Amino acid sequence: MKIVVAVKVVADDQDIFVSGDRSLDYSKARQIISTYDTNAIEAAAQLAADNDGTVVAISASTTKADDTKVKKDILSRGIDELFMVADDSLETADSYATAQVLKGIVDANASDYDLILCGDGSADLYAGQVDVQLAAALDVPVINEVTGLKVEGDKVVVERTLEDEVEEIEVPLPAVISVSPNVATPRIPGMREILAAGKKPSSVEGLAGALETKVEVEDIKAPEMTPRKNEIFAEGDIDAFAAAVAEALK
Amino acid sequence: MKALVLAESLDGQRDLCAGARQIADEVVLAVVKGAPQTGIADKAYDVELPEGEAAENAVAGVQAVYDAEQPDVVLIEPTPRNKILGGMVAAKAGASVISDVASFDGDTVTNMYFGGLAEMKQKATGAKFYTVAATAFQPGEATGTDTVETIAYTAPAKALVLKGTKEVPREGADLTKCDVVIGAGRGFAEEADLQMARDLAAKVGGELGCSRPLAENVDWMPRNLYIGVSGLNLAPKAYFALGISGQMQHMVGVTNAETIIAVNKDQNAPIFKQADYGIVGDLYKVIPALIEKL
Ligand SMILES: Cc1cc2nc3c(=O)[nH]c(=O)nc-3n(C[C@H](O)[C@H](O)[C@H](O)COP(=O)(O)OP(=O)(O)OC[C@H]3O[C@@H](n4cnc5c(N)ncnc54)[C@H](O)[C@@H]3O)c2cc1C
Repeated sequence: MKIVVAVKVVADDQDIFVSGDRSLDYSKARQIISTYDTNAIEAAAQLAADNDGTVVAISASTTKADDTKVKKDILSRGIDELFMVADDSLETADSYATAQVLKGIVDANASDYDLILCGDGSADLYAGQVDVQLAAALDVPVINEVTGLKVEGDKVVVERTLEDEVEEIEVPLPAVISVSPNVATPRIPGMREILAAGKKPSSVEGLAGALETKVEVEDIKAPEMTPRKNEIFAEGDIDAFAAAVAEALK
Repeated sequence: MKALVLAESLDGQRDLCAGARQIADEVVLAVVKGAPQTGIADKAYDVELPEGEAAENAVAGVQAVYDAEQPDVVLIEPTPRNKILGGMVAAKAGASVISDVASFDGDTVTNMYFGGLAEMKQKATGAKFYTVAATAFQPGEATGTDTVETIAYTAPAKALVLKGTKEVPREGADLTKCDVVIGAGRGFAEEADLQMARDLAAKVGGELGCSRPLAENVDWMPRNLYIGVSGLNLAPKAYFALGISGQMQHMVGVTNAETIIAVNKDQNAPIFKQADYGIVGDLYKVIPALIEKL
């Protein structure tokens, strides 16, 4: 079984700061696997292990993602090979544009795939649309919010968890499936996996042509924060804290 | 201007149709699962879905409505099913769905970037598809006719097979209606310790919610009770953040709280920058003491 997992590399938002003009300052932020894509990677790795399969990771990210550390991180999580297309226009690319690039990677390197897994949504745009766009581009079925997967011949039976019901759905393969973070707990790669990752095949290419975007970004600015009183007490000042809380609750 | 509303829930149908009126003079509603409500749109489409079929299999019906109506804008209630149905129609139109639009200024729409760290203003260059919640619009009345057209079901070539459905009973209070909300985070070491948060809630007449990890990575709390960019958006009189670090993805769910009260043992936790009253301390000591003193 051949599994593909789509992985976005993004700036670590813990270290994105807001500048004086309310623009975002990424200079301190390292590149990381977008949080919920680590769950998709884990689900893909487990599915491959259980079904005698292989997993390739595909990524449409900025040139900053072409970073040894983050590439090793991807490859140390049970992934056999990584194919990345890196171009700075992909930073705020819309889901149509991103899916076209991912389709290009799949067509060129993994056209014999059985299943493509996507995460719940990227940390930056969190649109939850690349899975749908990719399925449309490849003309295969798609399902989202998946919390469990089982391969049965040429189908995958998934558990799909919605707010007030759980569905069991049989998906014919090949297909695109986006998984909820609940699907699998990401492994913490050990030294051995990280060393082995350095020897695994990976390739980074530029965009073949200009990116075909459908959404134009006009402005990205941090919002003004709601002003707060910021009265912070030490643990010993519990009496004063309790009094302040009691006053606020009146 | 004509708007097509793709909605699933009863509230979603009514609220999005009312909202659509504010940006469009003609409003058309399409509903896949169950019959559409009447009197809220100029025309409603009942997109047929045979009993026992997965809703996503009705994509041809939604496409037929889109093709017949040629709307200027499509407003989509952000449910997982609609993300697929609306996304598929957008893809066919060579467009992207812009997700979770919070406000409109003509063709320029704003949504969140990096979980609320920033706001992103953007414009679709071609067909316009937005997922949007009722809160993006001014409150208003939905008006319309009783006209309903049924679109017959056409199965897709590679259909999903729905093998079973299990209802998940709703647990917990409707936090959007509570004056006082207690939020529990990963600072709680064990599920049983949440009792402390419940005791505080009882003391102050509040209800318990949580950060996303408590509803997901561990199943200590039901999924409908987590607060934040992908969960609930609340505006209580007081919000208690207990053992919550204050990541933006969580805090955007309570920016409209009147007062934010934080308990965290790390004085550098981002929560303190966004709190009115905070105490740097171990919640296992602070909460019992606070309950006693209130
Ligand atoms: C795309 C995306 C969407 C997301 N959407 C949401 C969302 O909607 N809602 C949401 O909540 N999160 C969301 N998240 C996750 C979010 O980024 C944070 O990871 C999450 O909110 C952190 O939860 P937490 O504060 O409970 O845990 P942590 O960040 O681990 O914080 C725990 C805090 O508890 C404190 N603590 C520990 N022990 C004690 C003690 N004994 N006494 C006092 N304090 C203690 C620690 O100092 C720490 O500050 C999203 C993430 C992504 C990538």
